[in-house]
This record gives sequence, C-alpha cells and structure tokens, in this order.
Amino acid sequence: MSENDKYYIERCLDGHPDDFRYIVRRYQAVLMAHLAGKLGNRDKAEEAAQESFVRAYFNMNKLRSHGSFFSWLLGIADRVAKEHRRKEMLHQQREVIRSFSQEAARPELSQDYGLEAAIAELPESYRRVVLLRYYGGRSCSQVAEQFDLPLGTVTKTLSRAYAMLRKSLQQPSETESYEVQK
Amino acid sequence: MNCAECKEILVAYLEGLLAEDQKHAVTEHLKDCHLCQAEVKQLTNLQERLVSNGRAAAQSDLENEVLNRIIREQKVRLKAAGKAGAGLELRRLIMKSSITKVAVAAAVIVVAVLGVHYISAPSVTFADVVKPLLNARTLILDVIVNMDGPAVDEDTDPVIHDIIVGSRVRRVISTQEHIVNIFDTDSAKLLTLHTEGKVAVYSDIQGLVQEVTRNYVVFLLDIITDVQNNPDFEAEKIGEKEIDGQKVVGFLARDLTIWADAETALPVRIEGHSPRLSVIYKNFQFNVPVEELEPLVSMNVPDGYKLMESKGEEFDMGTPTEQDLVECLRVWAEVLLDGNFPESIGMTELTKLLPQVEAKLAQSIASAEEGTQKGMALGKGMLFIMGLKDQHYAGSGVKVGEADKAVFWYLPDGADTYRVIYGDLSVKDVAPDNLPK
Repeated sequence: MSENDKYYIERCLDGHPDDFRYIVRRYQAVLMAHLAGKLGNRDKAEEAAQESFVRAYFNMNKLRSHGSFFSWLLGIADRVAKEHRRKEMLHQQREVIRSFSQEAARPELSQDYGLEAAIAELPESYRRVVLLRYYGGRSCSQVAEQFDLPLGTVTKTLSRAYAMLRKSLQQPSETESYEVQK
Repeated sequence: MNCAECKEILVAYLEGLLAEDQKHAVTEHLKDCHLCQAEVKQLTNLQERLVSNGRAAAQSDLENEVLNRIIREQKVRLKAAGKAGAGLELRRLIMKSSITKVAVAAAVIVVAVLGVHYISAPSVTFADVVKPLLNARTLILDVIVNMDGPAVDEDTDPVIHDIIVGSRVRRVISTQEHIVNIFDTDSAKLLTLHTEGKVAVYSDIQGLVQEVTRNYVVFLLDIITDVQNNPDFEAEKIGEKEIDGQKVVGFLARDLTIWADAETALPVRIEGHSPRLSVIYKNFQFNVPVEELEPLVSMNVPDGYKLMESKGEEFDMGTPTEQDLVECLRVWAEVLLDGNFPESIGMTELTKLLPQVEAKLAQSIASAEEGTQKGMALGKGMLFIMGLKDQHYAGSGVKVGEADKAVFWYLPDGADTYRVIYGDLSVKDVAPDNLPK
C-alpha cells in the first residue's frame, strides 16, 4: 500500500491541515483528468476537483484503510461529478424555460476530453490503473506497488484498458491526438 | 511465437518489462508480422496521447486554493459545532495535537507564577527545635498560589500538585487534570503528556522557565535541608496549633510562615506572603523512595503515547518579549472574552480559565499551528509580565480596537519613558507625566 499517503493522512488527522498539500500535489493531475473526462471542461473539472479534495479532507476519519486513499478519492470525485452534472442540467432546464430557446438545452461536451471521457467510462479496476499510470506519472511497477498487484496483472489490465479505450474512441489512433487545453 | 501470444505480452514489451528471451521473441515475431506491427503502432499512438494528455493535466495547481477552502470550511464547521454544543468529535479530530500544545503553554503560565517568587529568594535559614529525620531528595506537595487577591482561597483557587525528584518536577494542575508536565531543569526540557489524547510534546525551557523552576526546587529543598541540618536556626517562634490533628509549631522567617511538625520538624504547611503573591504549600510527603517516583518523572515518552513533532522554535519558551505580551492580550480578549479585555490580568484568573482556554481555542483556530501560536502567546505574555517591576493594567471595560484607551503600561529596565499598550494593541512610548490617569 502507499506509505506516503498513509503518513500524510495521519498527519492531517492529527490536526495539520497544511500537510494535505502533499496529498493534493500527488493526485491533482489524476483527479483533474478524471473529472475533465466526466465533465468535459477544464474549469468545471477544476472546480469539481477542488471540491472533491475538500470533501475528502473532511471525511478522512471515515476512511477505513489509509492505504486505499486513491480509490476512495476517485469515488468521492465520481459523486461530486454526478452532483455537478445534475445541477447543471437543472440550471440548463431553467434556462430553457426562461428563454424558450432550445439552443442551450444540451450541455456541450468538449471534444478535447474525449480520451478522458473514455477513461472515466472504464470499469473501476481499469480506470484507476490508467489514471495513475499516465496522469499520476507512475511507472507500471509503482502502480503495482500502490494497488498491491503483481506486475503482470498491471500490464494485462493496461492491455485490456487500451482495447476498451480504442473501441470506445472508435476512431483510428493515427489521427491527430487531442490536446488538453491549458 | 504466434500473434495471440505476442498480443498477450505486447504491453509489457512496450513498457520494457520483459525478460531478455521474451523480448527477443517478440522482436523476432514483429519483424515478420504486419498485423502485430499495426497493433504496436496503434498502441503506441494511444500511449503517446495518454502521455501527452497526462503532461497537460500535470499543469494544474490546485494546492493553495484547496488549502484555503479547507481552512475556510473548517472555521465555519467549528463555529457551527461550537454553537450546537456538539461536534466534539470533529474538534477532537482536528485539535488532538493543538490541545496538547495549548496545554504546554498553560504549563508555562503556572511555572511563571511559582517562579517569580523565588527569583531573588535566598535560602531560608531558621533554627530547629527537633532533630531532622530524613535526607530529602524527593518531595511531594500541593501548592496554591494567588497573585490577584490579597490571600489564597484554598477552596476555589487552583491546586498545583508537584512531585519533585532531584532536579525534575512532575506537575499537574487541578484545572487541567489530564495534562501532566514533567520539567527537567538540568536539560532544560519540558515533557507534556495529554493523558486523554495520549499525546506527548517536548519543549525547550532554556532561560527564564528553567531558572525559575530550578529556583523553586532549590528553595523547597533548602527549607527542608535547613530544618534538618541547622540546629541553631534563628526564627521567630509564633506559637503552636493543630492542623488535621497534627501538633505543629509556627515560625516566621522573612515573608514565610512555616508550620512544622512539633516532633519531626518537617514542614506541614508553609504560607508565603508578599505584596504581589500569596502562596500556600501543604500536603507534604517526604519519605517516598526515589525508585518509586523515578518512573513518574521519566523524560521518555510513555508506552502508548504518540510524540508530536514540533517545528523549529515552536516550543521555545526562552525569552518572552513585549510582542508576546501584546499577543497574549489579543488572544485573551479576542478568544476568551469575545473582544473585551479582562477585568484584571492576574495569574490565578488565567489559571482558572485554563479549561476554557482549551475549548475556546479549539473553536477559534483552524490548525494545530495556530493553536500552538495562540497558546504559547498566552503563556509567554504572562512570563513577560512576571519580569516587569513597574507595571499597570487598566484594561477593564476596554474593548479590542479602542485605540484611545490604554490597556497596559510598564517601564522597561533603565528606560525614561513608559511603553503603553492601547486597545487597538498598538504600543507607544509615553513620558511619565503623560501617562493615563
């Protein structure tokens, strides 16, 4: 399990909120990518990521195993994203009623996050590996260590995940890759 | 190797994780198989895309915003918890270590109370009536101090319970019974134990605190040693009486009244009177073996306790300054009294407030660091006052922010002008003639 997470979580639980900084530093890119995939927009993702971190901080005492922080954090992010989408939908419906315009009816999902959106759709055990490998900047063996998996399982998981991603993207990967907006 | 086998380990191959022979086998297969070559190309493209998107995501910087949000939210929650009278769990969660740190500061306050009396106290000599009985290396006693009123109120004033073993003192104050402070005057260290939270903190007491604690120990042991060793002591006998069924003889020596057992000459009760301080020492136990008390004054963190780290000079009680006093007044007024300066800034008053200090600080602070800071400010400010000769407090009825009202003034050693602290906590130099009336 992840020793570092554990150490900083215990520091936070001991009344040092400042040490949550290191947790944020570790997972912000992963969380941003995950939420950008779900919400399709960088600003919304940033807002949701911040909220997820804050929620995680205040619920840390409910975290059973301090080593499984990452999966737990993703779960929180999922709920936050869901709430944000619901809120947005309500907002848009209200807009529609107010303006009698159909134009604003559908939330425009930015194409820029097609890849992240596809990742967000992956089953939990695949998505956490992909996220940590590419957005968390970990090597395969680091991923294996963090999730307590054999290295072979990690590469097989990636292999399956790539297949699913390609299928879901449904476009030849030769085309120009989509950059994440700065 | 066939295509299925190749596909199976292709990712491991691309990640560079295969053993030499397997790697070789894949390389060989790829040379001839266009299908698998295409697969490699697709995989590499996807991976590159992932890597590039990962890099872009790594640009995000949420740290400060998240931290700010947490601090804001924490303040709101603590306030709500305080209002509802609930939320103890939350507070405990956030404040586990702060409370200990506040307690450390509280310890300083009481050290200061005891210390000031002995800074200049020479060893007390007085004649003996009866031969001494023991060689006191250990001493257990209760101390009640009052710096505010003319006399000690034994029923309501806080009681300090001390166990003295050589140069170490274990101290528990009745207003904070879950806090144990162990002073080592040799190494100038203080170990504070929070017996409920099971946390321990070390702090540095080099300087004033070390000195006054040492003086206190020397002073007490001197009294007993004198009683034992000096058969010709010259003290004024003031009479006899009974304390708890024990026949005692009273002596006056300097500003102390000593009531000693008529047969053993061991002190039963000592009363100290000086213009600034009243103090009673009682419930003495003299003959407890060192081996029995040694574990109680150990400077090691006990089993089951967690040691809180401190950063840098967080727990340096060395040299209190005027700034500490200003902070002390700020915390006292803002945190403890809703923006009003206290009626008086007596020690006993603050010691009585200690249980509230913990609770109120816990409600008002957002982090352990802030708790330490504020707690230490209270303690160090009080220490600063202890060292002042010419001082005056006038803060009763003044609110924080009232810039035209003087709260406290003192004459620094060797200075011609007074330093005056105002209600807005600004400080100015003022000539003696211009002091507030």
